[in-house]
Amino acid sequence: MDATGGEFAKGMAMLGAGIAMGLGAIGPGIGEGFAAGKACEAVGRRPEEAGLLTRTMLVGQAVSESTGIYSLVVALLLIFVV
Amino acid sequence: MHDLGRIHQLIVPLFGHEMTFNIEVIVMTWIVIAGLLVFGFLASRKRRLVPGSLQVIGEFFIRQFYDLAEDALDKEMAKTYAPLICALFLFLVISNWLGIIPHLEEPTKDLNTPLSLGVMGFFIAHYAGIKAKGIKAYAKAYFEPVFFIMPLNVVGEFAKVVSISFRLFGNIMGGSIIILVVSYLVYSMVLPPLLNAFFGLFVGTIQAFVFTMLTLVYISVQVK
Repeated sequence: MDATGGEFAKGMAMLGAGIAMGLGAIGPGIGEGFAAGKACEAVGRRPEEAGLLTRTMLVGQAVSESTGIYSLVVALLLIFVV
Repeated sequence: MHDLGRIHQLIVPLFGHEMTFNIEVIVMTWIVIAGLLVFGFLASRKRRLVPGSLQVIGEFFIRQFYDLAEDALDKEMAKTYAPLICALFLFLVISNWLGIIPHLEEPTKDLNTPLSLGVMGFFIAHYAGIKAKGIKAYAKAYFEPVFFIMPLNVVGEFAKVVSISFRLFGNIMGGSIIILVVSYLVYSMVLPPLLNAFFGLFVGTIQAFVFTMLTLVYISVQVK
């Protein structure tokens, strides 16, 4: 079986989508885990501020998640557009 | 699974060019706007000192966002920009929640909606900057640390628009694709409502708040 032209490009695009999503998910995972760990420490130190800390942590995580979202967008483009 | 990449489009030829309308997005946006108008009308219809339940919700939103705007900007400017911030948050949050109703879709699932809101925030932020500081100080801010860093600052301003709009779009689009794929795998049993609650209500609220806060921060960066 030999893949030609368009098929080869499509397969490579799928492969690229997988690699983009897999590598792009590493950074947000580490970053969000780090933020959650720090928030846990802070709640342990000052339990009465738990609400504010949780809110701040969630917003910070949503911002640091964006690099993963960009790789998701790139992966979607590779799958559906190429 | 077949409706994953399907978009209903209305293509209108106009003077040799083609105008493309995404029908579903427009209709869903109108639904959101109509819901907001009805909510605003009902909340402010019978204003009393002892408020009704809808008035309490409305006053709560207004108070929270005026406080946020007064923290980020000063008190005088908060009066100008807090209504914008409040409307932006309400529109986005209702848009992101719309996907949990069957047969309706989030308007933010299409890139055009977040991108247009991001461009709107960009122009409002720069207008606020020029109005607050004057054109000379505004232009000087681009040459701030050293002279030759100006192209980087300009690219950075445009990257802000791409950043916030793609963040919202990617979150909502990715959530809806995950819901679709998992529903297909488990034959729509048990799991989809939980996924809808997470991606629709939780992530939708947080992303709407992040979008609003970032728009406010961009305005305050330009104004300072």
